[in-house]
Amino acid sequence: MFPIHFNPNDQTMKRRDALRSLALITGGLVLVPACDFSKDDILSAYKNLNVTTSQQKLLAQIADTIIPAGYIKGASDLAVQDFILVMVNDCVDSEGQKSFSDGLSAFDAFSKKSGGKVFDKLEVPQREQVLKTVLASEGEEDKTIRAFLNTTKRFTIQGFMMSEYIMTNVKPYSLIPGDYNGEVLIADLKSEKING
Amino acid sequence: MANLNIDAAKERTFEAIVIGSGISGSWAAKELCDKGVKTLVIERGRDVKHLKDYPTTNLLPFEFEHRGQITQQEQKENPIVSKCYNFREDSKHFFVKDKEHPYIQEKPFDWIRGYQVGGKSLLWARQVQRISDFDFEGPARDGFAVDWPIRYKDLAPWYSHVEKFAGVSGNKDGLASLPDGEFLPAYKLNVVEKYFQDQLKKNYGNDRHMIVARCAHISGNAENFKDQGRAQCQNRNLCQRGCPFGGYFSANSSTLPWAERTGNMTMRTDAVVHSIIYDEKKGKATGVRIVDAVTKETEEYYADVIFLNAAAINTNLILLNSTSSRFPNGLGNDNGLLGKFVAFHNYRAGVSAEHEGHQEYTTSGDRPTSGYFPRFRNVEKQETNFLRGYAAGFSAYRGSYADQSGIGMELKENLLNANNYGPWRVGSHMMGETIPKETNYVALDPNEKDAWGIPQLRINIAYDDNDEKMIKDYQEQMTEMFEKAGFINIKTRDDNRAPGLDIHEMGGVRMGHDPKTSLLNKHNQLHACTNVYVTDGACMTSTATQNPSLTYMALAARAADHAVKEMKK
Repeated sequence: MFPIHFNPNDQTMKRRDALRSLALITGGLVLVPACDFSKDDILSAYKNLNVTTSQQKLLAQIADTIIPAGYIKGASDLAVQDFILVMVNDCVDSEGQKSFSDGLSAFDAFSKKSGGKVFDKLEVPQREQVLKTVLASEGEEDKTIRAFLNTTKRFTIQGFMMSEYIMTNVKPYSLIPGDYNGEVLIADLKSEKING
Repeated sequence: MANLNIDAAKERTFEAIVIGSGISGSWAAKELCDKGVKTLVIERGRDVKHLKDYPTTNLLPFEFEHRGQITQQEQKENPIVSKCYNFREDSKHFFVKDKEHPYIQEKPFDWIRGYQVGGKSLLWARQVQRISDFDFEGPARDGFAVDWPIRYKDLAPWYSHVEKFAGVSGNKDGLASLPDGEFLPAYKLNVVEKYFQDQLKKNYGNDRHMIVARCAHISGNAENFKDQGRAQCQNRNLCQRGCPFGGYFSANSSTLPWAERTGNMTMRTDAVVHSIIYDEKKGKATGVRIVDAVTKETEEYYADVIFLNAAAINTNLILLNSTSSRFPNGLGNDNGLLGKFVAFHNYRAGVSAEHEGHQEYTTSGDRPTSGYFPRFRNVEKQETNFLRGYAAGFSAYRGSYADQSGIGMELKENLLNANNYGPWRVGSHMMGETIPKETNYVALDPNEKDAWGIPQLRINIAYDDNDEKMIKDYQEQMTEMFEKAGFINIKTRDDNRAPGLDIHEMGGVRMGHDPKTSLLNKHNQLHACTNVYVTDGACMTSTATQNPSLTYMALAARAADHAVKEMKK
């Protein structure tokens, strides 16, 4: 009805393009068996973070453990890992960025210590256990991992709930919320349970 | 609209020039054009056309890369404007970035600006309360500033005039301190706000009131606004993006397109006003000198009458920079008071609490306004250890939330079925009157210039002891009212914000009876150069407590009427 005359964020487009080309490059690498995987590509789209493609994959697994797929899509189905990286790269202060990067780098070591294997090799219940261990930890020693996981969880929830899929298909958002009713009886609200 | 590619002086000559296309300038332009006056509107920023230039207006939350947040880099580059509650991912293109127009803060002052057609009328909070004789008579009664040269009766018909056109929702509350107006249906208070209203009546009789705030939204009778191309407010509460319905009043949706349709308006955008040209022989202003924002070329435009509506502080700047041998210290500045007695609204404090009752209720939908306390301190007479008083906002709200403590499928289902209700929360914020003082001033820096070769401003504005006492009283009184209503967990705050963030800066070119102590007369004309009218916040003799935009609109319409009558003489 009201045409939109400019794209509010050319950066989004650029970043999507960059990610697409990276996906092509890394996809290509997988097909070459002799490739040296110790040289992990750094994702240039997130210039404030030194995040590699394998760390991005790990982040997707962590996000999926926080919000798994079921009846309704899970975090990585909605590319929430990319949203997390955008938010940490753009909207978190440099101190927060450092603890995020450090925690992500140290995560597999923590997974080995706490769950016996790197995160990728764990089954879902063990993955959940690792995350619960981090979130319940209190000591100074796990501070970085905990900060990283709290940030990741916060942005996973935001990225999931504010995704196009959820706001369109599951809990449709309306730009026009309707007239104000300041006296709604909660008992009269009918809400069908949404199964995850 | 005329396309300006003109050289001859004749083609640069109009009957009137309005400097600034925001709330007050657009009203001056609309009134002049309606009365057949060929009017040039000069705007320093770019054009923003209704509907067409609201790029974010229909975007969904997930279409914003940062879901509405301003990035770290933007915050670092814009420490001033980033403090503004309304500077968000969906509205940032309507705000001036810090580097674009620097100024010198002798004391901290957060100057929030919108340089585009429509100015800040796209960004305002749309609250419109009339000021009363308790406010107009304040300086004379309490012995500060100078006496206002007008009273409520002078402005009342013009309040009605602008309210009918802009569209104002509200109740006829019958309060002398907040005169009633021409109202569209009022928005509703919710069940807890009504409860609080009743509690006030019970505990304070007829001394204190909490009403629904009047706001410039079309809440009904939408057919009255059809010929403006505006429709009923849809309660989107996304006003800062520009409204596709024209549901609230903005210059862009209302006064400017109206003025344009008369065929009498010419708009010159991207033109930064350098100064008003004064002709010594004629003894009056003859035009306006601008610097093209893009080419940096200087141009001149001429007219018989000039309306200066550049927004309070820039209006001061333009007059200070309009020097001539007759006016070496700025146009109309014979008494040396230009730029002084600047004041603002004190928005530092707030009080919040919880309410345990009404657990069975919540709210649905949305509304563009909230509750409002008209000033109840020192209204009829002086009764506290500080001068004047404060208005206050009030609202109660309750929403459902999700338990976010777990992870996995448990968390996912909790998020998707957010059905926990916490207590009702209530909150208030103060809007204090500040006393204009000679020591609160803006002045030109002798050396520093901006990108257009115009001197930078030095801003020296601060709170005083009266403001501190008022904050304390507001916190005490609101706490007492909350306690008496049975609210719990009452918390007071003082965010220590700098002046400016209230975005209600006023004065510097005040109205008054006497040319020795004021700059403008009762018709908003410069005493010493009567074909220049100032009808934005700069003209305010005192600040009152009410949101001031409605008063600027009414003063602009009234002054335009006066100017046209003078032209016909």
